[in-house]
Amino acid sequence: MAEKLVVEPDLGFIKEMAGLGGDTLKKCFQCATCSVVCPIAPETQPFPRKEMIAASWGLKDKLVGDMDIWLCHNCGDCTTMCPRGAKPGEVLGAIRSYAIQDYAAPKAVGKMVNNPKMLPILFLIPSILFLIVGFAYKAAGINWLNFSPGGEIIAHYKFFNTWLVDSIFVPTMLGMNLILAYGVYRFICDIHKNALAAGKVEDKPFDPKDLVTSLINVVVRIMRHDKFSECGENKERATAHMMVLFGFIGLFVVTGTVFIGLYVFGVHGPLSQINPLKWIGNIGGLMLIIGSLLMVKNRLTKTDQTSSYQDWYLIGMVFMLGFSGMLTQMTRLAGGEGVTYVVYFIHLQLVWMFIAFLPYTKIAHLVYRTAAMVYADYMGRGFK
Amino acid sequence: MTQNKEAPKSGSILVVGGGISGLTTTLEAAEVGYEVFLVEKNSFLGGRVSQLNQYFPKLCPPTCGLEINFRRVKDNPNIKVFTKAEVEKVDGTPGNYNVTIKLSPRYVNEKCTVCGNCVEACPVERKNGFNFDMDSTKAIYKANDMAFPSRYAIDSSVCKGSDCNKCVDACKYGAIELDMETKTLEINVGAVVWATGWSPYDATKIDNLGYDMHQNIVTNMMMERMAAPGGPTNGKILLPSDNSEPTSVGFVQCAGSRDENHLPYCSYICCMASLKQATYIRAQYPDADIYIFYIDVRAPGKRYEKFYNDIKADEKVYLIKGKVAEVNEVDGGKIELVAENAVTGEKVRQVVDMAVLATGMQPNAALNKLPADLVYNEDGFIVNDFDKGGMFAAGCANKPADVVSSNQNATGMALKAIQTLVNR
Repeated sequence: MAEKLVVEPDLGFIKEMAGLGGDTLKKCFQCATCSVVCPIAPETQPFPRKEMIAASWGLKDKLVGDMDIWLCHNCGDCTTMCPRGAKPGEVLGAIRSYAIQDYAAPKAVGKMVNNPKMLPILFLIPSILFLIVGFAYKAAGINWLNFSPGGEIIAHYKFFNTWLVDSIFVPTMLGMNLILAYGVYRFICDIHKNALAAGKVEDKPFDPKDLVTSLINVVVRIMRHDKFSECGENKERATAHMMVLFGFIGLFVVTGTVFIGLYVFGVHGPLSQINPLKWIGNIGGLMLIIGSLLMVKNRLTKTDQTSSYQDWYLIGMVFMLGFSGMLTQMTRLAGGEGVTYVVYFIHLQLVWMFIAFLPYTKIAHLVYRTAAMVYADYMGRGFK
Repeated sequence: MTQNKEAPKSGSILVVGGGISGLTTTLEAAEVGYEVFLVEKNSFLGGRVSQLNQYFPKLCPPTCGLEINFRRVKDNPNIKVFTKAEVEKVDGTPGNYNVTIKLSPRYVNEKCTVCGNCVEACPVERKNGFNFDMDSTKAIYKANDMAFPSRYAIDSSVCKGSDCNKCVDACKYGAIELDMETKTLEINVGAVVWATGWSPYDATKIDNLGYDMHQNIVTNMMMERMAAPGGPTNGKILLPSDNSEPTSVGFVQCAGSRDENHLPYCSYICCMASLKQATYIRAQYPDADIYIFYIDVRAPGKRYEKFYNDIKADEKVYLIKGKVAEVNEVDGGKIELVAENAVTGEKVRQVVDMAVLATGMQPNAALNKLPADLVYNEDGFIVNDFDKGGMFAAGCANKPADVVSSNQNATGMALKAIQTLVNR
């Protein structure tokens, strides 16, 4: 390194690493075993040894805008082989967790979402929101919130009118996407700047065709879980992750189709149980439940893996989404009118939480990791 | 301590282990007049040092030091040496220990003149553990050129006994007694010094370094034997695969040391040993490339630092900061060492003819618990409890150490043993 480097450690960052599951980072003595045993690190400037020393020095800005932390898939080979128990895999997980919160504006929301003590309040937010909006409509003479739906068939839209639900969810969805887009935009600017500075990539004129090719490459890679199967230690995670990912994709397709069905063709639920969409929805829900339970099992059996609040929040959320969704359907079919409306209400709160807080929680890895992988593919930073 | 002036029951000292530390403790105590029993499980004295080609940093052979010590042992009537002997039990308190010693038969008595007729007659071969199984000897063998006592011994695990009897017939001096039996000896001593030494860490346990998968990967102790004049290749460093001359050699530092998955501690000697072995290679192959992959080079003190700097001045010695964590065999027997150069941040794939694993030292007491009431640390080194006294650990039984530190420590333990006897 020719230029003079003045290290300005961010002590707060180092302390926060500990809370995010990176408490072992100070044990690292820079032997670089991790960078060699990593099955997916590139040949040039491999990770995670350099990330370990940057974390130890508190070089926050260098790390949150480092694409390599997202190329890491937490295989755990480095953690197993680490001679010091410094757990590089876990430290990189903690850095990712920090990076998500760092890019998600406003930061105050991120702080609240990632504070376990605030969880009951997080849960109350959608409840209050629903009631306020519902009563506001009522006051305006629109009765979209009906506490005694009655009628011969139990249909959830009679309780919470679909218009009410969507008039809350659509803006939430849009707002979330804006926050996420803003974060990802800054993220891509940062990783580009850092990658150029570190000499990991060479600048080139923008080529949209290449970008589309890279995007397709990466999406295929993600769908197939290629990186997971290259892992040595944590291979078995692929099944659980695949179930949850495809579960969500299935549910997204169902929700989108139903949305179009309702607004374009005026088709109202509940759908018949033999409708293929219903099948996809049910399979998706089951996949969330089974996938998340497998994740719990994997985390509990792998004792050298640290699980932070952020990990449990996401796994718990996935399970509860699947479970409350299935329960909503089952109680409806069983004819438990009161019960099913309560369960449906809870399910809606969870879905709202999941969507609204997405940019601040671990689930945002969906976009940051994809962005980093597309960037790496596009810029030709080969990772094995 | 000055209050209790009661004379101890025994004025003798037992030293367990006849390596460089045990020899030093024995001589230091005996030469000021104390009776010392020296118990050694091998058929010869000298221990690990006798397996070395040269000491660092002076690069003199182990005969330098060992020979004079053997001479002092031989000349001192206060010293009773038992080879092929192991301590079976130690009971008692400081000043008064009852010790049971098992004496395994050597089958060769003191009439042996080391003429070698028996070796020619012997039909049985055995792997030579002294040379890390890189060659073999007959069932009747002399462990090494400077073996002391200078006498043959028979490996009873392979010897066919009196059914064969060829060595007995060949011996002109009546030195071979195939009916020699195991004996037990009871002695009473006032203090015990454990100088049970170390073993090289089992390289087969380090999966990612492929020691047992590739022929041209050896350990540092094997390198010592290869470079030693009395070794399996008569002092010539050659590739194990085809006995050809290496053009490049890579050293893998911290092979199993400073690693929680193996030995969590620094073995202290391996850096200096590899730097020293670089001089062996340079002496035989002036053009060979030598790569040393390290985490940190630990060459403590002025003399070692100078040694390190001298090696660094060699243009064909390449020191790379980064631990080798993967090895592959390429080009029919060559070894590819994979590391990340932590200075440049680039992955290095260095192909060498031969790789040397700088394996560390594991205390023998960790491998086989000693039959006495001793305190060990979590790594199996014996912790010296000076308040309790009576029994002490010297040399590498106590901590990883080089020869110099072992000797200093062993001298100190001789004094501790004497203090126990005189009750001060």
